[in-house]
Amino acid sequence: MAGAYDIEAVRRKYIGFETAKARGRFPVEYDPIRRHCHMVDDNNPLFLDAGYAKTTPHGAVLCPPSGWLALYFASLGPWPAVFEPLFPVVPAPGKRIVNMSQEVQWSRRIKVGDYLSVRRRIADVYQKGISIDPEAVWIVAEAIIENQRDEVVCVIRNTMLTHRTPEEVAAAQTSDAPGAA
Amino acid sequence: MRPAPPEWCTVRRPQLHWEDAEVGQDLPHISFDITPRRLFLQVSGSQDWYPAHFDAAFARKAGHPDVFMNTGFVQAALVRVITDWMGDEGFLRRLYFEMRRQQRPGDTMACRGRVAAKYEADGEGCVDLEVWAENPREGVTTPGQATVILPRRGG
Repeated sequence: MAGAYDIEAVRRKYIGFETAKARGRFPVEYDPIRRHCHMVDDNNPLFLDAGYAKTTPHGAVLCPPSGWLALYFASLGPWPAVFEPLFPVVPAPGKRIVNMSQEVQWSRRIKVGDYLSVRRRIADVYQKGISIDPEAVWIVAEAIIENQRDEVVCVIRNTMLTHRTPEEVAAAQTSDAPGAA
Repeated sequence: MRPAPPEWCTVRRPQLHWEDAEVGQDLPHISFDITPRRLFLQVSGSQDWYPAHFDAAFARKAGHPDVFMNTGFVQAALVRVITDWMGDEGFLRRLYFEMRRQQRPGDTMACRGRVAAKYEADGEGCVDLEVWAENPREGVTTPGQATVILPRRGG
């Protein structure tokens, strides 16, 4: 496997690749917001109480400004997902994933009842070793989230590391060794 | 006059205005003990079913010392620090953060923020924040920056 992976071929093929626009199966709903808030003990009434939210300038419960939650509503969360995460699309030697950074640029607030959709684009793919895997692959992907009026709500830029397990690295080194079958 | 929030809410401060923000000002911090219950809340709240965040054997096989809290959880905590501070009429324009080190079971994760800059842009009152997550074992695990638009007093 180690010799077979060609990062330059992967870069040529996948950088700039963009998925078709996918629309979330369900509108932005109260309960996933409630669960999200519960996760971090957030009891902000703007996110949780329709009566209170109605009295604010927004007039409705807002979705907390989390890129993660925006992606959930745009397709990746509710079962069954509209499509799978990008990672299997881009070949890499390892199947283990770690998110390394995220940037979210917000243009608009999200309200309960909105429908979100997403287009995703591979911005960069490169190989940079880490302590446990000298062939770790890094994928930079952008997700453009839009609402039902085709207005951009936010753009999420995510850098993800994919790597092999130490066992997989050791096995690959053994198979690469001179004299190995 | 807006009605008071329900009793189950923590007390919301009066709306913060751009004029109120001062460079160097600390945002109220929050903290969490990373317990099994918090791990389950993380999966429920993020709907992230990647096993590295709840299956210790899976995490260890990948070379991690233990399971670790996911991006959705850490982001939600940073967002809470910001939204608690900026109030109903604030707008989070940008959030950037790096998952440099991990929050693991047994850690106490704190999320903090500080006003880094204050300026006007395109007629809006902007505030740049430094935000971060930390724990006693690792120090700062997740450094970040945010930009918030705050309403103007009388505006």
